[in-house]
Amino acid sequence: MHKRTVTASSIAFVLLSTVALTSCSAATDIAASGDASGTLIVYTNSNSDGRGEWITEQAAAAGLDIEIVGLGGADLANRIVAEKNNPVGDVVFGLNNMFFETLKAEDAVSAYTPAWSDEVDSTAGDTEDGAFWPLVEQAIVMVYDTNTVNAADVPTEIADLWDGDQHTGNYEVNTALGQATPQLMLASLLAPYADEDGDLGISDEGWDQVQGYFGHGSPAVEGTDLYARLIRGEVDFGVIPSSGITSRDAEYGTVTGVISPQDGVPYVTEQIAVIHGTPRQDRAEEFIDWFGSSDVQGQFAAKFAAYPVNEKARVQALPAVVELIESLPKQDIDWALTREHIGEWIEKTELGYLP
Amino acid sequence: MLRSPLVLVVALVTVWFIATFLIFPSATLLIGTFFPDGQLSFRAFEKLTSSERAMNSLWHSFLLAGTLAVTVNVVGIFIVLVTDYFAIRGARILWLGYATTLIYGGIVLAAGYNFIYGRYGFVTNAVGNWFPDIDRDWFSGYFAVVVVMTLATTTNHMLFLGSSLAKIDYQTIEAARNMGAGTVRILWRIVLPALRPMIFAVTVLTFLTGLGALTAPIVLGGTDFQTIAPMILTFSKSSSSQDLAALLAIILGLATIVLLAMMNRAEKSGVYFSVAKVATPLQKQKIPNRVTNGVVHVLAYALFVVYATPVLLIVLFSFVDSTAILRGMITWDALTFENYATVFGTPSVLRPFVVSVIYSALASAIVVVGMLFVARVLQKYRNPVTGLLEYLLHIPWILPTILIALALVMTFDRPQALVGGQVLTGTTSLLLVAYIVVKIPFTLRLLKAAFASVPESLEDAARILGAGSMFTLRKVLFPLVIPTAAAITALNFNSLLDDYDAAVFLYHPLFQPLGIAIKASTEGENNLDSMSITFVYTVLLMIIMSLAMYLVYGRSGAASRRARRRKPRLIP
Repeated sequence: MHKRTVTASSIAFVLLSTVALTSCSAATDIAASGDASGTLIVYTNSNSDGRGEWITEQAAAAGLDIEIVGLGGADLANRIVAEKNNPVGDVVFGLNNMFFETLKAEDAVSAYTPAWSDEVDSTAGDTEDGAFWPLVEQAIVMVYDTNTVNAADVPTEIADLWDGDQHTGNYEVNTALGQATPQLMLASLLAPYADEDGDLGISDEGWDQVQGYFGHGSPAVEGTDLYARLIRGEVDFGVIPSSGITSRDAEYGTVTGVISPQDGVPYVTEQIAVIHGTPRQDRAEEFIDWFGSSDVQGQFAAKFAAYPVNEKARVQALPAVVELIESLPKQDIDWALTREHIGEWIEKTELGYLP
Repeated sequence: MLRSPLVLVVALVTVWFIATFLIFPSATLLIGTFFPDGQLSFRAFEKLTSSERAMNSLWHSFLLAGTLAVTVNVVGIFIVLVTDYFAIRGARILWLGYATTLIYGGIVLAAGYNFIYGRYGFVTNAVGNWFPDIDRDWFSGYFAVVVVMTLATTTNHMLFLGSSLAKIDYQTIEAARNMGAGTVRILWRIVLPALRPMIFAVTVLTFLTGLGALTAPIVLGGTDFQTIAPMILTFSKSSSSQDLAALLAIILGLATIVLLAMMNRAEKSGVYFSVAKVATPLQKQKIPNRVTNGVVHVLAYALFVVYATPVLLIVLFSFVDSTAILRGMITWDALTFENYATVFGTPSVLRPFVVSVIYSALASAIVVVGMLFVARVLQKYRNPVTGLLEYLLHIPWILPTILIALALVMTFDRPQALVGGQVLTGTTSLLLVAYIVVKIPFTLRLLKAAFASVPESLEDAARILGAGSMFTLRKVLFPLVIPTAAAITALNFNSLLDDYDAAVFLYHPLFQPLGIAIKASTEGENNLDSMSITFVYTVLLMIIMSLAMYLVYGRSGAASRRARRRKPRLIP
């Protein structure tokens, strides 16, 4: 009595299985370890806004056949670590130095000195072992809209926002500590208070800052951009990576101002490395040499408003970007300490200080 | 029982699957987290109990689950009664309105309600124009989360309770009426008791949904009502805090299992033969009291409006530029096809759809077919061994999907004898395995409830007439549970279609599934249209999901209606 349904669904099932099986057999070419041929798998968290497509096209023009696998920073780092016994990806780029420190500690990336190594500031990457190399730099900044906020009301230090009740509920705090930007903000808050005797390497004063920052802030709203909240007057201040400013000013009609504290703002450097154990080592190195070269980095910077670490590429970067970045002093952050403790810091904050 | 070859095969396959894909990976992960240096660590427990925030969130999750177990049953049973039991004008239209929760959920649903009732929502704006003093945050916190989640999770009631209701023998109702019972009394003493196995099953599912609530509290909960799921998500992504995530998840999982055990006991203590031997199709009941009838109509249509508005808005929003949505001012100028152009302008935009449709179809078909046999065996042979197997099959409820995925990657990244010495990490098959695994408990729970309402006399009759066990299963029992099985298949298919949590660790680089593609296209520091693009994808997903519901559920529903008409001849 269900003949028609059964036949239809069995046909569908057979068709689907066939497609799936074909895809499986196609896939085994790539998955099989020790196979040097096949597409180069490039892991990145920097594929959005059309970057992934652009890189794939440019690479193809340069004779490199690549497939971009794009995931969020924390997810990508976890995936690489989980796969380290049988790596699926060949190259990883775009993660910040904190994530790369983790990958290095887990032996998930292997050292390679790229052809362009003398064109970048080696202290921006892995100075000691050369396990990963810097590509692009970004500042994490506290911004406001100069159209609505009086210059006189803008605090000079970020910590002034939660000193007293004047700005309570008036600045956005991102509580999604699984994401990169909130993690960097946390690292930046704690950096001046490193103390060997303190809890998790941080003095009590440092933890008071974290409590103040989250306690007085207005939690970010899932699905609502910071700038949307700025223009409707919900909050006056909030944190974003510097590369997002230009496009937002254009979209929302804002004129962004940046708080530039005495000690500087946190900078992050996106890196590139070969994934340890890849069967396509040669082609992975070839891709790194090509992608990090001043020519490609210069074009990338011009197209995506990035600030390249490669000094030769910097001439091609957008003047507005260069001006902003060079006007902001760099905060001194102990990245080794940060990497060692960031997991515990997140845990402590999540359990104790989030609103 | 082992003399039957069917039972033997089912038992062997089930035991192998449980050992390989449920116990082994979870054990690997849990031993790694709780015995970091070969010694049991109480770190996670101490950390959690000393955190006021964690304890509060945990309490909120339980409060929400408990509340939903009541409210969802009230609304869900009301919906089923007005669409399938009482004679209500326009019941088909009402059904379509209530069915909207079948085709969307998660962040989009929460956002949809927020756009209507939230701080900048248009209902709040409209009311604010008349009464400027209203509290603009009226729709937030516990109340808002309960309202939204109650409306959003009546899906299971609609499908499964609806199909159970259809199986009630109308003669029992007629008999009761002849004996002078009123509408309320018939409902209370005849109809609801017959629905009990299914009500138990969907209550467990509702409780679980409440415990795992993620997006609704994030969007609507405000600072006063945050639940534990976001914390579990953050912790499971940080290797040093995975023990906390696992512990929290285990607490939630155990609570569900306890409830499940209680429901199992209650289910065993009763006899529910809601399927009639000489079935007379249910006829819709008129509500005799005019006032009550009017009130029920008004309530039904009010609920319809509440259900349908967010969906209409989402379709509208997919055509609006995102700045206008966020500013809360939608004018004619803001209408645009640009969002669709962006989505369809992406190279190979269709490929993730194909990949996800194949994965979801395969996984939901395999899991339903497999669980049909398992549920049948568990239902028929009740002993400690099958009891244990049943609880083991609920392991996926104890761990969040992310941890299941991580456990699979780390377990199968080397040749494993249990899968014939294969390395599964990095192949296309591991994601399929994960999808099957996460759908097992839900499928098993509902199929068991479906089998529970099949009278044993049917099977006895088949045996006496000389039918073999496979023949009986195929020709007598399966047809009775097929409507439920079809509905489960469709629901599983729909929920896997935009999965992100499992795919993120397991997908093969060349076969990007939809969840990953959506996330990629809505992420990015310069991507300001992310909300609009989410809406476009939601509309596309709604189309596919509606199609799936129509193909699987709509058609088999028609088939079962045909079957019911013929049944008196088939089973004399």
